[in-house]
Amino acid sequence: MLYKILVVDDEAPVRDLFEELFKKEDCQTVTCATGEEALNILKNETFDVVLLDIKLPGMSGLEVLKNIREIHKNLPVVMITGFGFDEDLIAKTKQFGCSGYIGKNMHVAQIIVTFKQFVKNAKEKALL
Amino acid sequence: MGTDIKKILPKLIENAAVMVFYLNHNGDILLCNKKTESVLGLKQADIIGRNWLEVLFRDKKKSIKKNMFKAVMDDSTIYKRAKDFTCHINQRLISWSINPVLDKDNQVEAIALFGQDVTEIKERESSIKNIDDSLKNIFSGIKEYALYVINLDGNITYFGMGSETMLGWSKKDIIFKHVSILRDIATDSLSLEFILEQVRSFGKYETETELVTKNKETIPVILTVNQFLDATGKLSGYVFIAKDITERRKLEYQIFQSEKIAVLGQLSAGMAHEISNPLFVISGRLEMLKQEDFSQKVKDDLVLIADQTDRIRKLVNRILKFSRKSTPLQELIDINEVIEGVLPLIRYNKLPSAKVEIEKYFGKNMPKIKADPDQLQEVFLNILTNAYQSMPGGGVIKIITSNLQNLYAQIQIIDTGIGIPAQHLKNIFMPFFSTKNEGLGLGLSICHNIIKNHNGEIELTSQANQGSTFTIKLPFT
Repeated sequence: MLYKILVVDDEAPVRDLFEELFKKEDCQTVTCATGEEALNILKNETFDVVLLDIKLPGMSGLEVLKNIREIHKNLPVVMITGFGFDEDLIAKTKQFGCSGYIGKNMHVAQIIVTFKQFVKNAKEKALL
Repeated sequence: MGTDIKKILPKLIENAAVMVFYLNHNGDILLCNKKTESVLGLKQADIIGRNWLEVLFRDKKKSIKKNMFKAVMDDSTIYKRAKDFTCHINQRLISWSINPVLDKDNQVEAIALFGQDVTEIKERESSIKNIDDSLKNIFSGIKEYALYVINLDGNITYFGMGSETMLGWSKKDIIFKHVSILRDIATDSLSLEFILEQVRSFGKYETETELVTKNKETIPVILTVNQFLDATGKLSGYVFIAKDITERRKLEYQIFQSEKIAVLGQLSAGMAHEISNPLFVISGRLEMLKQEDFSQKVKDDLVLIADQTDRIRKLVNRILKFSRKSTPLQELIDINEVIEGVLPLIRYNKLPSAKVEIEKYFGKNMPKIKADPDQLQEVFLNILTNAYQSMPGGGVIKIITSNLQNLYAQIQIIDTGIGIPAQHLKNIFMPFFSTKNEGLGLGLSICHNIIKNHNGEIELTSQANQGSTFTIKLPFT
């Protein structure tokens, strides 16, 4: 197995798609719909990477990121953005240590490649 | 006292407000009244007995007047007719009346000379004429107001102030025509009768409406109508004052357009975001399906669907660039360099291969501009691409940069292409407006947005079949 991934997105079709895409890449995926659920899951399970939607209901993507960072300093977190991302928001997430972005407006193949690259980079950085 | 003329007449003459002289036919003054004293500055005793010419025109310099007066006198004497003459005596303007007194044989036995001081009257007349002329000058300078008056039948009796300029009719052509000639009654629901009724009831009426010129052009105006009263205070007509608000309308329209664009921007951003998820899912599933084993027909169909989804994605990206709220990057850039940087990029757009020459006229003294270089490049790329596409048979594009009073950089891109017809010009920067068969019509609205975000201005002038000129102004830091 390549990576164990926690996918956080409020829409089921999006979660399902990621799950299937990652399955093809030999990755195991756990999915959830909200930030609160994600933090709960992270208490009990370990993951290689969290794939976190920047816009979530309830606790926002940025909040979740902050919370994750407090507990797991080195856990790679890749943020998902849609079209029309807010540049201010992106700058803030960089500040709180997000490991990279993928956009839903990118081609799927490109998403997978970019995602894998981010995770690889983050893990290498953590080892240093 | 009674009405004994013999007693009253001398009193009348003595106290008249005009000078009265009684001369013999030689011109010697036999009698004069009191008024002569104050005008001539002499006592009656010093006047009587002397020749009138010498008394009135003591000054040798007044010899011309003397001669003229004498000629008039002679004329009157010879032809036995009253004659009139005006001249200055002691800086007062006197209007003279020379009247021969005939005896019973119809011979001139004496001359009655009356002189009225008309100095004040003339001054008043002159003053009124001055005011009149001044008013005419003032009025002729007021171009944005038209003032016209109608009688109770609705016919124009006065057409003043800027009326001729604004409405194109000359006074003599429009006088007594019915005032409805100035409106387009077919489309204008505001009836004259209604307006006049309001004026009769409330004294005045004000409304925003349109007037029609002689050339059938419409002018948006604020129309104020007042009662026109005669000297006895009776309603004798109506006074119309129309203020041309064309400029204000233009401004309102521009603001409205900007607001529309701003709202459109917000809607687009929201929509684009909502579209992300469904588009992502469709795309993703398609990719996965493509890898499955299907008949060639299904595989082909999947490719088609993927292509269309791609189009949607590109469209949404475009819409987003257009609605970008963020303030542009602020770098100090040299506008000539930015434009230079775009030129090689044009070749990589899908352009009809045509002989298009680019002539650069770059201003030398060009201070830096605070701007986002990528965004500016997008603007120039867009405009230059349009210019290329407007000249399928080849042509020349001139790029001119200049320094406007050290305040603005002005960039002009001038092509000699097919141009844009006048009726499209006002919509040219609107999103989704396009004169081409392909493309979304977002390019120029994005350019407009970018330039506005940089506190600049962008304008297009164009003539069908002659070419277009884009003029962009960007403030220096």
